Amino acid sequence: MFDAIVVGSGMSGGMSAKELCEAGLKVLVIERGRKMVHGESYTDSLQPWEVPNAGMVPELDLARHYKHQGTSFINAATQQYWVKDDENPYIVPADKPFEWIRGYHLGGRSIMWGRQSYRLSAQDFEANAKDGHGVDWPIRYEDLAPWYSKVETFIGVAGDRDGLPQLPDGEFLPAFGLNDGELMFKAAVEAKFPGRKVISGRTANLSKAAPHHEELGRSSCQARSICDRGCSYGAYHSSLSSSLPAAERTGNLTIVTDAIVHSLIHDPKTGKVTGVRTIDQNTKVGKTWEAKIVFLNASTIGTAQILLNSKSEAMPRGLANGSDQVGRNLMDHLFALSTAGIFPNGPQDSFYHGRRPTGIYIPRFRNVTEEGDGFVRGYGYQGGVSRMGWRSGMGQPGIGAQLKERAAKLGPWFSFISGFGEMLPNPENRVTLSATQKDQWGIPVVEINCTHGPNEAKMVKQILADGKAMIEAAGGIVVSQAEGPGTPGLGIHEMGTARMGRDPKTSVLNQFNQAHDVPNLFITDGAAMASNGCQNPSLTYMALSARAAHFASGFLKEGKL
Amino acid sequence: MTGMADMDRRMMLERMAWLLGAAALPGEALAKAAPRRAARRFLTPARLALLSAVADTMIPKTETPGALDAKVPAKFDALLLNWASPQRRIELVGTLAKINQAALASEKLGFVALSPAKRNAVLTAYDAAALKPVPDTRGLKGMAAMMAGPSVADASYAKLRELIISLFFYSEEALTSVLTFEHTPGGWTPSVKVTPQTRNTGGLGMF
Repeated sequence: MFDAIVVGSGMSGGMSAKELCEAGLKVLVIERGRKMVHGESYTDSLQPWEVPNAGMVPELDLARHYKHQGTSFINAATQQYWVKDDENPYIVPADKPFEWIRGYHLGGRSIMWGRQSYRLSAQDFEANAKDGHGVDWPIRYEDLAPWYSKVETFIGVAGDRDGLPQLPDGEFLPAFGLNDGELMFKAAVEAKFPGRKVISGRTANLSKAAPHHEELGRSSCQARSICDRGCSYGAYHSSLSSSLPAAERTGNLTIVTDAIVHSLIHDPKTGKVTGVRTIDQNTKVGKTWEAKIVFLNASTIGTAQILLNSKSEAMPRGLANGSDQVGRNLMDHLFALSTAGIFPNGPQDSFYHGRRPTGIYIPRFRNVTEEGDGFVRGYGYQGGVSRMGWRSGMGQPGIGAQLKERAAKLGPWFSFISGFGEMLPNPENRVTLSATQKDQWGIPVVEINCTHGPNEAKMVKQILADGKAMIEAAGGIVVSQAEGPGTPGLGIHEMGTARMGRDPKTSVLNQFNQAHDVPNLFITDGAAMASNGCQNPSLTYMALSARAAHFASGFLKEGKL
Repeated sequence: MTGMADMDRRMMLERMAWLLGAAALPGEALAKAAPRRAARRFLTPARLALLSAVADTMIPKTETPGALDAKVPAKFDALLLNWASPQRRIELVGTLAKINQAALASEKLGFVALSPAKRNAVLTAYDAAALKPVPDTRGLKGMAAMMAGPSVADASYAKLRELIISLFFYSEEALTSVLTFEHTPGGWTPSVKVTPQTRNTGGLGMF
């Protein structure tokens, strides 16, 4: 028997495993996908001309295998990380599409993530209580702040201390500086809109590796910006490069891969979970693993699926689902609300060197320094200002020597800013299990029913209007703008299906991410989120994981579990 | 999984489809259209010659390498074999045939048989007409709409052009002569003075 089982090896599972191992617990990490090895499994050594098919996934493969993943960032160099939708199906209503973007392998989506790392603020933790949407978080910013610091220090986050209450500062490595086009944009936007700030995107890339990073074999970012292939330098945080190696060096870690969790085993006499049932993804052989505590880190939808599939006589609606909130309140950030513009007034004598692994960030200002037009919560923007590259004008007529000359010549400064908006928790946005359809491992497939509501619709309008206004404020000419948000799911920030809360009647987890109904079950992935802010959430998942692991290991040692 | 025999059968069917609609190619070239399986080529020699002429005209050798130096035709052929869907293959090869038709119509010779100057004139005219903007009826939304590029008169030609250009600029030859590329820049420098020698950087990424 293990002290703890961690289900899932991605962003939150890796951090849970690290913290539990460092607390002295014998930990088993169960990963449904195949083993991957830091460095040797990556494709980052491929030169552009070595990547198959000019970087494109074969069209028939896209049609056959990647119906949903193909709507995201998949390419030939990263194809190995994306699940095949036809082999891992899910159900959505015809009128409510949802793109469930997944990576089933050791390290999960921590290999594939965008690395943007922002704290939620005091305002975010108070939002549900103030405007009445969702349930009140059982913690406040101050509860999580030290864990944010611990995680930031461990993973390495490059950023500036910007002094913004809506985007608290943290323990940062040096920021990746803004280029001259971005400095021009920043000056213009901040002059025209005094409540808005343009800052360097805070990113989990080691701008300057610290000794504790180097001890894990990690080194400074080489500005290659091919992070999505995996980084052999370990310059961005992932479970493979960072948290699992830290867990492993304690001598307390065991990892099994290719083991799909079917359900958790609940003992009605004790009210606790005793272990986990798995099915080998290749042989389909079942197995049971036992532990004193279980951390569910299977990702927001996967975690809900496991809980719902763990129903028993004692818990007929699913494990830890006395509140009937498991699977509900599914959220994803409003995404792909992009505005692009060209700056004829940009500094023509300036360029930059290297490919920075981040861009600019415009922290939330609506319902902070400026009112929202009929909506609650807010949004931030990610993007960048850069010289248009060789592709600039490639779609314009012209061949021969002039085409080559055009490609070689630096283009004008170009800006691309994309709004990420908060989505309200709505119990009707939910994950359920199909009553009729099972996957190849005999597990009921999930049905996802999720759509944007009226608050999001109002927010979308203002995201686009503000994006246009900021580009124009800097002298830009808007050349392209999205008409509406991307399909839910494409933000790849699913959250909320086992929310934290104060009341067991209306929430699944307490202030320690401990299931109200099952004291030795902890959930620290996106499922735990009671609201989603507008910040990229992985840093919060990791902080919640570290904090919950601290309490769980303490409770275990104190004999409380 | 698709077996080799199935693949060959499918290719044959596609080729038959092209034959039905590909009056532009000389009969002799079509007679040589049988694929050489051992070479793992998709295009017939005649079509490969046509593609080579188009690519060479689109991106000629100047003081820097051109499409032929970068082996764009062979790479394009590999894309047809390994990347393109059957429908895409038909569209791309059909577009090559249309370019040949344009040469026949204006110069009474196939595109391959033209002088470099004549090829340039034919392809320049074709390029301008094909890339003429038209109202967008693709119904794309969100990011897909932003990334799709302009709606033009001949989308198949635009794709053919994009692929030739991409294959060239992703090549080692282009990235070490026309553009610059460092796989491992080593760090980020946010401001560098532009000089007469400054060239655009390349690579697979957007920026």
